[in-house]
Amino acid sequence: MFLKKNTVAVMFLLGVSCAPLLAPGTANAIPAFSRQHKTECSTCHTVYPELNEFGDAFLKNGYVYPHKKDAAKGAAKAAEPGNEWSIISGLPQQIPLSLTASADLAYDEDAVDGNKLDLSTRSITLQAGGSFRDLFGFFATYNLYSQGMQRASSLTNPANNTNVPPSNDPDLDELFLVWRQALGSPVNVKVGRFEPKLSLWKKSNRILPVPSYASTTYRVGASPFSSDATEDGVELNALLGNRLFVAGGVVDRNGQDREDGYGHISLKIGGTDFKGQEPEVDLEKDSLWDYLSVTLGAFGYWGQNGEFNANGVAQNLNSFRRIGAEADILYQRLHLKGSGSFGRDSNPEFGVFKAPVDSKAYTLEAEYYLGAPVNVVPLFRYEYVNAGDGTIKRLTPAIAYAPLQNVRMSLEYTHSIAPEGTGNIAFASIAFSM
Amino acid sequence: MKKLLVTMLLVAATAATAHAGLRVVGKGDAMRLDPSGFPPAMKANYEIMRVKCVKCHTLERTIVAIQTGVAPISGQPFDRNATKAYGIKMLRKPDSNMNKAEVKASVDLMNYLLSEAEK
Repeated sequence: MFLKKNTVAVMFLLGVSCAPLLAPGTANAIPAFSRQHKTECSTCHTVYPELNEFGDAFLKNGYVYPHKKDAAKGAAKAAEPGNEWSIISGLPQQIPLSLTASADLAYDEDAVDGNKLDLSTRSITLQAGGSFRDLFGFFATYNLYSQGMQRASSLTNPANNTNVPPSNDPDLDELFLVWRQALGSPVNVKVGRFEPKLSLWKKSNRILPVPSYASTTYRVGASPFSSDATEDGVELNALLGNRLFVAGGVVDRNGQDREDGYGHISLKIGGTDFKGQEPEVDLEKDSLWDYLSVTLGAFGYWGQNGEFNANGVAQNLNSFRRIGAEADILYQRLHLKGSGSFGRDSNPEFGVFKAPVDSKAYTLEAEYYLGAPVNVVPLFRYEYVNAGDGTIKRLTPAIAYAPLQNVRMSLEYTHSIAPEGTGNIAFASIAFSM
Repeated sequence: MKKLLVTMLLVAATAATAHAGLRVVGKGDAMRLDPSGFPPAMKANYEIMRVKCVKCHTLERTIVAIQTGVAPISGQPFDRNATKAYGIKMLRKPDSNMNKAEVKASVDLMNYLLSEAEK
């Protein structure tokens, strides 16, 4: 039998524990960049939306093509004199919009409502991204429509509950501007709604965006906070040299007169540097470092949230923190990712009487790239979460196939082990961008 | 008149010989180089480029970069430093299926073609 039979209550609990992980993955991968730079998706992606090393450099460079600063102006003037308006005004020559859609199929033998085969989950997201000359980068994602488990507004996501004042639409997932190298300094200033730079990878920077990594997406008690949620804030980030990246910012939280704070640092050893420059390789001799790159990251987040009363004022406050460490190892076709996060919440149930909770979560993932260009990626993910209510382990073998660079099909199977019992869910998805 | 015509044909033939390394055949996705004027080593290198590079992009992209001295996507100068950097980039791409010898052959060929284009 496909699933071990358990009680309806057990499956309900597992479903609840998995539901936040099935929030829609917003994508970095947007065809607007492809159209703007007249290059294929694989310039920045392995199988979209996962970024390759150059894609990560493009992201860190504020959505401006690395090293293009002066050459772009010169080339545009010489080769396309009719586009002078764009250079003078700073407007992108292409309308910087894209759409990403997905349709999913989930099979759950112990589905609570008896609907084992669920084809009713789908979403479509509008994205915008680009740059105003090389001074500003911008990015936005808006959830146009979603249905089923992916329905963002039906989940208790942080955007819905902690950052957005009542009567505002929570479907605007990201909208931010990056002032690149502000006032001639090496510091980039990011303002708007965005995913605070904590993890090495944005939550969309995965072969399988759904579910997201437990280590960055887990929540504690009734608190809607997770490390990878988009929030309203201001962030300063900078490259120190070519291989050290630092970021820090503050997040505005409604209903209280206090801001959250966070910081991130990452170091890359070997491989393409954070500026998109290739390493020195001796074409006559072999070295392990010809193909190996190791990126190490650490982050911390300190914040406070609460339950809104009728006047929109946060009460029964919960002070929380997260500390995390991560590693990304790439060697030829093998890609390993590891992520761990520890946390403490002083009052995650927003109770009158505080009940502190310690939490921890780990994710390990191994991917192997097949095809030339890469179009098939088998992967295996292991996750461990203890958010104060027992340990949950998840084992996920999966495979993704991209017949075209803008179309991705995936099939995954998740075996969950929780204090209440075990569960199995098969999940198939097809996504495309245009 | 005949003398003038012969002279013009000779000049044209000389010019064609001088740029034999960059004789381009076809357009767009079908663009190729005519390697008939290449030294033997470069002919062998061209075979590697012709087979390996088109797995992921057209030869037009490479040829335009060599002809103009500017990489068509990034807008960066396409010189000898760039050829090695692109070679390393392709070597390190998980899916390029190119080993060091093949990358070196391609870099040598691009450097040769750049020299020919400068003539």
